[in-house]
Amino acid sequence: MSTAASNNSAEALEPLASDSQRLLAIGGLLLVACGMLFGDVFALFILHPNNASIGGALYAASGLIPAGDVEGILAQFQSIGGFLENRGTKVDAHSHMIHLGYIGLLLAVLQPWVALPSKARYSAAALFIASAALMPPAIFSIHYLGLTFSPFEHIGWASIVADLAGALLAIAVFIQLWGILRHVGGQGNPLAKPIYLSAGNDASRVMLIGGLTLLLCGFLYGAGMAAYSRIAGAPAEVDILKAIVSHAAASQQALLGEDFAQLGRLQMLRGISIAVHAHINEMGILLVLMSMVQGFIQYSRTNRQRWARLATVSAFGLPLGIQLEVPLGVVGSVVADLSGFALIVCLVAMLFGLLRHTGATDSARGEDA
Amino acid sequence: MTAAQRVLIITALGLIGLTMSYGVWYALFDEHQTLTDMGMSMAMGFVEAARQDLPAAMSSLDTYAAVSTEYRNEVHAHGHWGMLALVLLVLGLVYEQLQLSETGGLRLAWLLAISSTCFPLGILIQNSALQTLGQWLASAGSLGMLLGLAIVVLALIRARR
Repeated sequence: MSTAASNNSAEALEPLASDSQRLLAIGGLLLVACGMLFGDVFALFILHPNNASIGGALYAASGLIPAGDVEGILAQFQSIGGFLENRGTKVDAHSHMIHLGYIGLLLAVLQPWVALPSKARYSAAALFIASAALMPPAIFSIHYLGLTFSPFEHIGWASIVADLAGALLAIAVFIQLWGILRHVGGQGNPLAKPIYLSAGNDASRVMLIGGLTLLLCGFLYGAGMAAYSRIAGAPAEVDILKAIVSHAAASQQALLGEDFAQLGRLQMLRGISIAVHAHINEMGILLVLMSMVQGFIQYSRTNRQRWARLATVSAFGLPLGIQLEVPLGVVGSVVADLSGFALIVCLVAMLFGLLRHTGATDSARGEDA
Repeated sequence: MTAAQRVLIITALGLIGLTMSYGVWYALFDEHQTLTDMGMSMAMGFVEAARQDLPAAMSSLDTYAAVSTEYRNEVHAHGHWGMLALVLLVLGLVYEQLQLSETGGLRLAWLLAISSTCFPLGILIQNSALQTLGQWLASAGSLGMLLGLAIVVLALIRARR
C-alpha cells in the first residue's frame, strides 16, 4: 500500500491521524474559540458604546442644519465614518475568524478524500491555517493603521494584507477541491472514507439533531425577516432620514426627537435581527461539526454527554438571548453573553478531550514501536 | 463517497473558492468606492438641507438608500455563499446518517446544491437591471433550502427511530 493510501486509511479511523488533519482540526478549533472570545469582548466593550457614538454624531449633525454649518456637519460625518469603520472591521474580524475556523475543521474531516501526496496536503493545510490566522488581525488593524505608508489612495497596508490572505485562502481551498476531484476521478484510495463520522454516540446525536434544527430555524428566521421587510412594510431608513433632515431644517425639535427615537429603534431591531439570524446558523454549523468528533473526545461517557448537552443548550441560548434584548434589554444581553461564554468553555473542554485522545494514540504508537 | 455526497461536497468547495475570490475582488475594486459613495451621499443630504435646498437633500438621501441597498446585497451574497457552502459541507459529511434511498438522496443533494448557489446569486442580480429575476431566484433558492433542510431534519429523526 502506498504512503498516501495508508495515510487515508489512518485518517478514516481517527480525525487527527495525519499532520494535515491535526493542523486543520486544532487550528480550526482555535480560530473558532478565539473568534467567539473576541465577539464577546467586542459586544461588551465596543459595539454598544460605538452605536451610541454614531447616534450622537448624527444628532449633532442634524442640530447644525438650521445654522447652515456645513463644515460642522461634514466633521460630524467624518466622525461617523470612523465609528462605522471601527465597528465594521471588528464585526468582519469576528465573523471571518469563526467562519475560517469552521472551514478548517471541515477540511480536516475531508482529508481522507483529498487525493494528494501527504506533503502537498500538509502544505495546503499550512497555507490555509497561516492565511486564516493572518486575515482577522489584518482586518482588525484596518481602522488603526489607516493609510499610513500606503502606496494607494484608498487602500491601506492592513487591507492589502487582508486581501492577500483572502487570495491565499482561496488558493488553499482550490487545492483541496482539486484533491477531491482527483479522488472522484479514481485516484487515491477508493475505499478511503471518514468512517468515524457514522460512529455516533449519544453525545453526537444530541449535537447533530440540535445543530440541524438550528440551521432550519436560521433559514426560517431569515425568510421571516425578508418577508417582514418586504410585505409588512417595515419603516425604511431613508424615510426616517428624510424626516430628520426636513424637521431639522424647519427647527422642529420635538419632531426631530421622535425621528431619532424611530431611527434608533429601527437600527436596534435590524442589528438584533441580523445578529440572531447569523448566530443561529453559526451555532447550528458548530454543533454539527462538533458532533462528528464526539467519539474521539477522551472523557467518560457521562462527562462527554454533559459537555454535549451544555454546548447544545448554550448554542440555542446565544441567539435566544440576543432576541430577548428587544423586550428585556440588558437581561437578554446577559443571557447571550453567558451562553456564549458557556459555549467557549465547552469548546475548550472538547479540545482538551481531543488532545487527550491524540496524546493517548501517540503514546500507544510509541509503545508499539 | 456516494454520488449525493459528491454533489454536496464539490459544490460546497466550489462555492467557498468562489466567495473567497469574489470577496478579494470586491474588497480591492468595489467596496471602498461604494462605502465612500454611501457616506458622501448621506452627508450631502444633511449639507444640502443646511443650504436650504431640500429637493437636493432628498435626492442625495435617495442616492444613499440606493447605494446602501447595493452594498447590503453585495455583502449578503458574499456571506450567504460562504455560509451555505458550510451547510452543504456538513450535510455532505453526515449524509449517510439520514439513511435516504440513493435516488431520493441524490435528488435532495441537487436541490440543496442548486438552492445554495441560486439564493445568493439572486441577491446579487438584484443590483442589476434584472431585479425581478433576482428576486425570483433568491425566493426560489430560499424556499429550496428551507424544504431541503426540513427533509434533512425529518430524515434524521426518522433514522433515529
